[in-house]
Amino acid sequence: MSERRPYVRAQPRDWWARKPYLGYTLRELTGAGVALYGGILLAGLISLARGPDAFEGFRSFLSSRLSLLIHLLLLAVMIWHVVTWFQTMPKTMPKLIAGGQHVPQQKLTVAGVALAALCSVALIVLVVAVGALS
Amino acid sequence: MTPRPVPKRSMSPVFWLMFGAGGMLSALFGPALIILTGIMLPLGLGVPGRFGDYGHALRFAQNPLGKLVVLAVIALFFWHGAERIFLTLKDMRAGALPVLRLATYGVAAILTLLTLALLLEIGF
Repeated sequence: MSERRPYVRAQPRDWWARKPYLGYTLRELTGAGVALYGGILLAGLISLARGPDAFEGFRSFLSSRLSLLIHLLLLAVMIWHVVTWFQTMPKTMPKLIAGGQHVPQQKLTVAGVALAALCSVALIVLVVAVGALS
Repeated sequence: MTPRPVPKRSMSPVFWLMFGAGGMLSALFGPALIILTGIMLPLGLGVPGRFGDYGHALRFAQNPLGKLVVLAVIALFFWHGAERIFLTLKDMRAGALPVLRLATYGVAAILTLLTLALLLEIGF
């Protein structure tokens, strides 16, 4: 028998739903939202391959109140993903040095979120502009 | 001197790469995509209604660049979600690792192949 009896701290099974870890769990759950949106797009692609009737069915689902509710929820999840993604990014990369000074992590987060906002706004503006001009 | 054993290669950098690519793609364009396909197109807000009809969608999916966009968005979003769900379930000790891998990476792999097959079926 081993003499070694290390102390193992008890961990409740629902640790992930408790306070210091809840933020982590919510951040990781955004991945499920991102995948679910991919699934909606895949459903659209399946109905597109099946033909016009199936695609109309998909479109009428998209116009339903349930779908709008789902997409508003997914949008909130996606925005939380954007914020947490750029909160995590500075921690996963080498320290950035500019002008002999460490760039603070918060600055990188703000820059990342601003870049994301710019990209999303640009894409919407592009689609609206193409629609208006065509 | 005995030769050192060759270290076992891990597959995790591959999954990590796809997780990162999907995370960045969704962070940059995800909100716009959801607003466009889920809210503006179905309600006809700001975009012509015909943008969402069968002919337009078909031509988008037939265009090689359109195919690439569809594949990148769908597949990378799945791989991003798969990595996050896998690591979280692993931390929750929700089950045996091979089972968890199959339920996350496995599903993402199957759905990626399905997307690829559908894009080929739709043709050029």
